[in-house]
Amino acid sequence: MNAIFGIILTISLGLICFLSPDKALSAMLAGGEKALYLSLKMVVIYAVWMGVFALMEKSGISNKFAKLLKPINKFLFGRVPNKANDFMSLNISANVLGMSGATTPMGIKSIEELEKHPDTEYAIAMFFVINATSVQLIPSSVLALRTSLNSSSPADIILPTILATSLSTIIGVLLVKIFLKKRKKKCQFT
Amino acid sequence: MSIYLIPVLFFLIFVYSLFKKVKPYETFTLGAKEAVPFAVSIFPYLVSIFVLTELFEASGLSAIIERIVSPFFSLLGIPKELTKLVLIKPFSGSGSLAVLSDIYQKFGVDSYLARSASVIYGSSETVFYVASVYFAGAKTKKLTAPIIISLVASFFSCVFACFICRII
Repeated sequence: MNAIFGIILTISLGLICFLSPDKALSAMLAGGEKALYLSLKMVVIYAVWMGVFALMEKSGISNKFAKLLKPINKFLFGRVPNKANDFMSLNISANVLGMSGATTPMGIKSIEELEKHPDTEYAIAMFFVINATSVQLIPSSVLALRTSLNSSSPADIILPTILATSLSTIIGVLLVKIFLKKRKKKCQFT
Repeated sequence: MSIYLIPVLFFLIFVYSLFKKVKPYETFTLGAKEAVPFAVSIFPYLVSIFVLTELFEASGLSAIIERIVSPFFSLLGIPKELTKLVLIKPFSGSGSLAVLSDIYQKFGVDSYLARSASVIYGSSETVFYVASVYFAGAKTKKLTAPIIISLVASFFSCVFACFICRII
């Protein structure tokens, strides 16, 4: 992240010095402002979802649910600690169902939980790639936008989207399995 | 169908927790309470990524890269009108949504370009946003390989999106 941030920022700032120096600060502040609006919006969305998740955790639904997904998780991530497995299952199912507000809090919790244990680097990388390549099956925001613009068949794009998003996730998973596998170590969690 | 998903799911969760004798008010509130420190902890990461995105646009770097990569993208079947969307998508969800709306307005919502753009938008994720936010509290920042893998995989799905919309 540091390398990418550094490179893009240096080139952008260098260019802006020559082309439009007056825009530099205002662009940066505009970025900060957008971040503020987004976080405010996020507090509300997270509050609702995390309230529901607390109920799921306390009542034991999340645990039961995670057990159902365990075979898939095992194939993807190898062995992971149980608590992390719970969060990861919720994150991935929220992703698939397109509940975008729910994915982030569960994603952060999954990573925090994974980090508490040694030798989870492979699982973290795989988990990141699956989240970053998107596994959302119904592109609800695109559908809503198309419908509002009077598309003659807004749902036309569902099948191609499912195919394309599956392809990106499969490629991502394969690449992680090929390139990062050597770092994967056998290790037992209780 | 999907409009029933969330209310039914919430209903089932609430009923089940009542059945399990979980204190609903207390538990829900405690969960919701966590949201505040959560949002506070990701805020600085959001600022960095948004500042980066704004500078990337304002400096004209995105336009320059757009011009450079457009011919290569065309060879792979990505029309030049969609280059901007493919480039902005990994950085910003709101930015790419704006580009998507632009494409809808300009070319008509049912055109080939608009359909391809919809599939590109729907099938890839804002990679850098996920990288910065998910790892907000994390110690390890060794993400270079996973980020590159995600970008490569997303790019393939963009190529595929343009291809499949030509057939269907």
